Amino acid sequence: MTDIQSPAKAAAAQPGGRSALQHLLQGERPYMLYVAFAVMLIVFSLASPWFLSIDNFLNIGRQTTLVSIIAVGMTFVIISRQIDLSVASTLALSGMSASLAMAFVANNWVVGAAAGLGTGALIGLLNGVLTTRLEIPSFLVTLGTLSGARGLALMVTNTKPVIITNEYYFAIFGEGSVLGIPAPILWTLGVTIAGILLLHYSVYGRRVYAAGGNPTAALYSGVHIKQVTTLAFVLTGTLAGLASLILSARSHAARPDVVQGMELDVIASVILGGCSLFGGRGFVLGTLLGSLIIGTLNNGLVLLGVSSSLQLVIKGAIIVAAVAFTRR
Amino acid sequence: MKQSARILFSTLSLAASAFALSTSMSLAQTPDTCVTGVDMATLGPKGIVGQGPHGEKAASPDELKLTDDEAAKVKAGKFKVGISMQTVNLDWSQLQVQGISETLAKYGVTVTGVASAEYQVDKQIADIENTIQQHPDGIISIPVDFTATAPTYKKVGEAGIKLVFMDSIPVGLSSPKDFASMISADSQGNGQIAAQILASCMPKGGTIGLVNFGVDYFSTNERTKGVGEWMKKNRPDIVLKQVDFTDPSKVSQISGDFLTGNPDVKGLFAVWDQPALDTLSSMRAQGIDIPITTVDLGLQSAIEIAKGGPLKATGSQRPYDQGVAEALAMMKALIGQPTPAWVGVQSLPVVQSNVLESFKTVFHKDPPAELVDACNSAKPKCN
Repeated sequence: MTDIQSPAKAAAAQPGGRSALQHLLQGERPYMLYVAFAVMLIVFSLASPWFLSIDNFLNIGRQTTLVSIIAVGMTFVIISRQIDLSVASTLALSGMSASLAMAFVANNWVVGAAAGLGTGALIGLLNGVLTTRLEIPSFLVTLGTLSGARGLALMVTNTKPVIITNEYYFAIFGEGSVLGIPAPILWTLGVTIAGILLLHYSVYGRRVYAAGGNPTAALYSGVHIKQVTTLAFVLTGTLAGLASLILSARSHAARPDVVQGMELDVIASVILGGCSLFGGRGFVLGTLLGSLIIGTLNNGLVLLGVSSSLQLVIKGAIIVAAVAFTRR
Repeated sequence: MKQSARILFSTLSLAASAFALSTSMSLAQTPDTCVTGVDMATLGPKGIVGQGPHGEKAASPDELKLTDDEAAKVKAGKFKVGISMQTVNLDWSQLQVQGISETLAKYGVTVTGVASAEYQVDKQIADIENTIQQHPDGIISIPVDFTATAPTYKKVGEAGIKLVFMDSIPVGLSSPKDFASMISADSQGNGQIAAQILASCMPKGGTIGLVNFGVDYFSTNERTKGVGEWMKKNRPDIVLKQVDFTDPSKVSQISGDFLTGNPDVKGLFAVWDQPALDTLSSMRAQGIDIPITTVDLGLQSAIEIAKGGPLKATGSQRPYDQGVAEALAMMKALIGQPTPAWVGVQSLPVVQSNVLESFKTVFHKDPPAELVDACNSAKPKCN
């Protein structure tokens, strides 16, 4: 890996001479996001006696796990000027692979995890290769894999769920905890930290910004845009695979019809977190915050006993308002 | 200054979601009478308790039996029947189709095809119009909705094709003018079974949470109504709280939040088995162990009941038997015999002590190894 001269956009997102923490919270960042989150925490705390408790924050953490983990990968994809609509279907198919591998190959958590992550990575690779080599817009490619992967997930068992019985698998991905922190939240934190290191502190991360910010300049500075983009899709697919392990461990079974439409929550989190749909701008911590805002909103509205139809209206209005305020 | 406040706040907000103490285990005080206090022989309604969507009284599937003379007429007719489903991706739909197809085949009636609308109104309208083009003698169908599909279903009768509905009737259609029969499960009866067993697990004055489907749908409305009415009549001391969901994929989140916001809830009813399982997974995550009952039976819910965990019972439909009744009603209509406007198929109570046998009854096949293993590890309570 040779270092590259980042183009202007990437340089802007990488201001020098600041501490690591400042660097994470500064730059092209939607400050309003923090304000929005703070306001929401205060409003819900005042409105519901149950909101402000460790147990409830663990609830929110657990509930946002799937979206947060996949959104970290989606941040890379969107920064590189692409989109991945297939993540929810990838999650469904990866979960089926993991559970079937444990049912028919060996009832061992390593086998299940390898099958789940591998399936996710493969679909990511397929998305990346089709997008970059055939030069088909990723919107259309991943719309195709959204449908294809879901169909395969439904086909492998003729729509039946597959029961999982491996206790280690449940503990590692779903129900275990370290120092009282549930496994799904630990996975989310691990993925977020790895995502921050990869995007903000590695050569690959700079190349992702370059590829999305100014592809022409990036190409002339020797960035292999096709490879960089493909890798972003593989990363997202693999993380959808990880999310499938967490979901299936929590429900003790893999189902082919899970999380339909979740790709929209993932994309909303990334955009809410300050990513530009036109590429070149975004950051991992913002994405996590975006996901937590949506999760906190879902949680708080239920605690307040708001009717489910009104919840959708409020959620939509707040997402639009937040994005409107955070646009510079 | 502002900047450091921002940094501090962001760090704190992140830490808040990561920092945790050990989760509190809220083990419910369930009475010893839980499930075991219910006499299985007298459990559940003896007949059909619910009424049809238009207040019809239910007829029993026994009224649909064919005489030898009628059977001969059907065989001589060489009839063709089309099926239009809301989806074929559910055990429920597959068993219905199996019950219909196997019964029709016995009498030499051909099934021209099974269309799956995937819950989409426009696709179902196209499916039915295409089926009409095949000129079958009859169509058996479950409407995806009650209003938008109604004109298309009217066309079926106008084309001289006999129509039998599953589960609900679109608005403005009446029997015998527009359709022959509607066959459904006794949803209210299913709700009553779930209520009766849940009540046996509740201390006096306890609070029950109802995880209800927030979309206006006849059969799910009837289930929740069945629970509420049974409680009001038999256990007026029990307090009912309700939470609605409109998107089934969000049940895990919604029920988890509902339990956080209502720590007094010591028992749950979920409107069908998947929401019950999703509620169970959020309970496990929070370390909550309180009894749940539901309606419908699937493999995973059967395993949970067999294990003797929080999922105590379900009032199951009998989709295969419902399919048999639909086929019989269709054949009666095809040979010009009168058919009851609404036929209710009786509910089946499923608990740990009868789960294997119930699985056989519902699915018309031997229980799979996973279920037998789960049951064996919970012997002697599980049978």
